[in-house]
Amino acid sequence: MKMGGVCKIAVVCLFGFGLQGCSGERSALDPAGKEAEELAKLFWIMLSGAGIVWLFVLLATFAAVRFPSSTFAGIRPGLFIFISGVIFPTICLGGLLVHSLRLLPGARDAKADMIVKVSGEQWWWRVSYMSPGGEDVVSANEIRIPSDATVEFELTSPDIIHSFWIPVLGGKMDMIPGRTNHLRLHPEKAGVYRGVCAEYCGTSHALMGFPVVVQTQAEFDAWLKLEKSDAVPPGSPAAINGERLFMSTGCRACHTVRGTEARGQIGPDLTHFGGRKTVGAGILANTSANVEKWLRDTGKVKPAVRMPEFNMLHSGETRDLAAYLTGLK
Amino acid sequence: MTRETETGHNLWRMLAPLTIWALHFLACYVAAAILCAKYPQIADLSPLRHLIFLVTFLAVAGVAYIGFSTLRIWRYSLDGDLDYDHDTPEERHRFLAHVTLMLCALSVIGILYVAIPAAIIGSCR
Repeated sequence: MKMGGVCKIAVVCLFGFGLQGCSGERSALDPAGKEAEELAKLFWIMLSGAGIVWLFVLLATFAAVRFPSSTFAGIRPGLFIFISGVIFPTICLGGLLVHSLRLLPGARDAKADMIVKVSGEQWWWRVSYMSPGGEDVVSANEIRIPSDATVEFELTSPDIIHSFWIPVLGGKMDMIPGRTNHLRLHPEKAGVYRGVCAEYCGTSHALMGFPVVVQTQAEFDAWLKLEKSDAVPPGSPAAINGERLFMSTGCRACHTVRGTEARGQIGPDLTHFGGRKTVGAGILANTSANVEKWLRDTGKVKPAVRMPEFNMLHSGETRDLAAYLTGLK
Repeated sequence: MTRETETGHNLWRMLAPLTIWALHFLACYVAAAILCAKYPQIADLSPLRHLIFLVTFLAVAGVAYIGFSTLRIWRYSLDGDLDYDHDTPEERHRFLAHVTLMLCALSVIGILYVAIPAAIIGSCR
């Protein structure tokens, strides 16, 4: 194949890969919420503006090289530079500043329909849903919110700085120890999306994600009612043995399973772990095999994680423990 | 007409717009930070907005005064050309006046950009 053919294929491939970023569960250019829509619009406005300026500079360069200087005798260089280098950028940047300030969450008066508290841990997410007149509903590593509702996230962290970002729903917001930041999002399309930590926070920063489930109000209410309830006692012999292992091998020291003796606060709440979509904060699909892998090779799946590996359990015990955990619907 | 050309007077004039911009920036941000830290329950800049607008007006007026007075010097020092490449007191004056005018324009833009968030957001969040 000739060199030109190779180049064409390479350009098409690169362009194709580039287009992958324009859609999907984590693309800011494929918005599913009001805020993300406004940001995507701003991006396209800025891209178009930058493209026009780029073309103008290219054409001016081409004209300067191609035509004799007498062609431009009517143009005063000082005035040309002053207008295109001072006046134009000042007006453009001023306009963009005003427009982008209006997009900031704090600039809107919208009243939040619900509040979700999220704390960035190393490297997972502590989530609690504020229920009016009741106790907070505690969960972890997954966020569920109703569509067509304004949700306020209260964001903080106990130790280091993280950043909370759901690209398809809106902009990111830092989670700073000792401070509570507020982020309001208004999802419009139901679906399953992905959130990430957008601030480097240590070894497993890139492995700190979470699924975001946007559902109808009725579906959300039903889910929240279930999430509020205690864990369902295990049914199968394997799961019953798994619960015994959970209580006797130290898991309960760090994890809470409401309705049991497990009241640990160090790790994620596992009361309804089986109902979640992922294991290890958005890393693996929530299947028995992956839970076993997580229990056995925790440090390999998520380097430097605080949870110890439970590879002293034999395979049958790990399987039973996984059966118990995945059964916590 | 004789003028003192070696007093360094224009150097101070050149620094004044930037100093006003810096003081305006500090006044706005320090005042907003104190209000938001002391009264987090209000989370609203409204009590401070009028003060920020007043400080902004004074800062822009101050820079404009320096700008217009510099413009007079610049015009006076033109002598029929805009050249300031030579090491003469006259051209040094002209150069400093030119730079001061540019810095005045930059400072006005900077001062207005600092005040815009207070006008649009008006919130501690």
